[in-house]
Amino acid sequence: MPKLLKLGRVSDSQPDLVDADSWTHASGKGVRIAVDQEIDERLLAADLIAVDFPVFNDGRGLSLAVLLRSRHGFTGELMAVGDVHEDLLHYMQRCGFTSFLIPDERDPMTALAVLAPYSDYYQASVTEPIPVYRRIGRGA
Amino acid sequence: MYRYDAFDQQFVDERVAHYREQTRRYLEGELTEEQFLHLRLRNGLYLQRLAPMLRVAIPYGTLSSEQLRLLAHIARHYDRGYGHLSTRQNMQFNWPELAEVPDILEELATVQMHAIQTSGNCIRNVTADEYAGVAADESVDARPYCELLRQWSTAHPEFDWLPRKFKIAITGASDDRAAIDVHDIGIHVYRQDGEVKFDIKVGGGLGRTPVIGALIREALPVEHLLTYVEAIMRVYNRYGRRDNKYKARIKILVRAMTAEGFRERVEEEWVHLKGSPSTLTPEEIGRIEAQFLPPAYPVNATASDSLATDRLTDPEFNRWVRQNVAPHKQPGYAIVVLSTKQTGVPPGDVSDAQMEAVADWADRYGFGEIRVSHQQNFVLPDVPQDQLLELWREAKASHLATANRGLLTDIICCPGGDYCSLANAKSIPIAEAIQRQFDDYDYLYDLGEIDLNISGCMNACGHHHVGHIGILGVDKKGAEFYQISIGGHAGNGASLGSIVGPSFSRAEVPNVIDDILTTYLESRIEDESFLHCFRRIGMEPFKERIYAEAA
Repeated sequence: MPKLLKLGRVSDSQPDLVDADSWTHASGKGVRIAVDQEIDERLLAADLIAVDFPVFNDGRGLSLAVLLRSRHGFTGELMAVGDVHEDLLHYMQRCGFTSFLIPDERDPMTALAVLAPYSDYYQASVTEPIPVYRRIGRGA
Repeated sequence: MYRYDAFDQQFVDERVAHYREQTRRYLEGELTEEQFLHLRLRNGLYLQRLAPMLRVAIPYGTLSSEQLRLLAHIARHYDRGYGHLSTRQNMQFNWPELAEVPDILEELATVQMHAIQTSGNCIRNVTADEYAGVAADESVDARPYCELLRQWSTAHPEFDWLPRKFKIAITGASDDRAAIDVHDIGIHVYRQDGEVKFDIKVGGGLGRTPVIGALIREALPVEHLLTYVEAIMRVYNRYGRRDNKYKARIKILVRAMTAEGFRERVEEEWVHLKGSPSTLTPEEIGRIEAQFLPPAYPVNATASDSLATDRLTDPEFNRWVRQNVAPHKQPGYAIVVLSTKQTGVPPGDVSDAQMEAVADWADRYGFGEIRVSHQQNFVLPDVPQDQLLELWREAKASHLATANRGLLTDIICCPGGDYCSLANAKSIPIAEAIQRQFDDYDYLYDLGEIDLNISGCMNACGHHHVGHIGILGVDKKGAEFYQISIGGHAGNGASLGSIVGPSFSRAEVPNVIDDILTTYLESRIEDESFLHCFRRIGMEPFKERIYAEAA
């Protein structure tokens, strides 16, 4: 069974997801969208949006997350599902993902350990919208 | 040149630790080959035909003497005593041990170097005019903007997992030495009414489908550099093809959308990003620009009196000055190209001893700075004119004074089938055979500037499409053959070469080159260059001679 990594904890809880075309707000379920999908305003009312990575290195899911957060103001839970690989979590997190469904074959404790390999980054992101040079005195 | 602050150092140190941990997981079987592949590539490590290859970043081709000495140490300690200057201004080591790479990266970090994003489907080392900051024909030094892009693109949360690799080049000179027309993004930086502005081209590139880039934005103000590039990257990251690696570069997307359609998408995207916190502040631009201010040239520096006499007394020295020394912004100074293209040595290969010698000369004659050109040569950017003779004598003793910059034998050449697992054919022996056949300086000088570029496969690391003469290794039923093209050009008014016809065996290549050169010499009008002559007379006369003999 895949493990859910959320708020720094690993659990067995599994998301209840419906594909975008059959999802309704009334269902009370999370909505699953594909990485190549255009953002449908209707889905923004969901409490949970899950972006499905077909392969771990498909960066479209990262742009989709940034748009959901920064342009469409989505504030609910944003979950990475599908081929989620521990070495991409730090990118995903900075693009606005808040939870990760770690596939069976990956070790969730490793995923937790490599969640934040760097103490800070150069550029703006969803989680830190101010680039580093505007926050700290650079040049020293 | 740019010096790391505490933040840069912290990031690079953490990157080393991060990669060490990834290497450990791979060696302990926690990562599959495919998973580790993407991680090691983002740290410059390929697995090649015979051994791993580590590509170390030389951001925009600028190095300090201290950094070059460390590269010499790495060549000696972790490799077989040499390194290879790549066509994207980086240095490659062909024989490191995979398990030792974290140690190499740790050593690099001690001199503010790394191998971050030198391969993989991400934003690569931003390249620049190798004469940036010192060229007489330059209006703006491109390097501060390369550095701003380097920092912005390093471990970018959204753009490190692109459909395909992504290459940016910038020039601030009137003579484009950075080949901006054949990059994913090519930027011309200039000053307009006192303000720094950018003209931005997209969708150029070589490889399987060579394309000249299209201009999509003119006179972009400096503060918008990062947000505008962000808009381009987002459109590409979302819509670039991922189903076929040969159709995944941005040029294919630009072609599919048309340049105008692509430009509109970028502008729509940019509306949302313009003015965001990623907009550069005057303070940050100033902080970076200040690190590229000219060195403290002596106040009374003037054109040298002794140089003219030195040139008259030694014809060999005179030749070298004519060929390998370029005009400098500062009176009394010169830019020196140290050619690695000595016959018998693979183009771009330099030994540890040569690296140390170049580092010493940079300290002794200049201000401790060295450049690497995409033509795979070293450049000393600040040499006093009256010390050229002394430098030349030393360079000659170190086999770095071949007077062939820009001539036929200054061949751009990928490592090819001798090293690279992608190659269809060897390229180094072709370069050597050509250098052996055409070794008479007077003949080469009479031919004038001819760019001869060799790639061992369609990936075009040797930039064969934009060689005045291009040679491409192809596989013909398991045998190595070579396709030859004429009329490519990488600088201003870039063009792609046209294929002369059926390909040739390795043994035939030097004679085909001879036919091409003879046709040119017989057809040229006065001092017409090879390229101009080809553009005037077209392919037919070349073809006739080449295939008449073959028949």
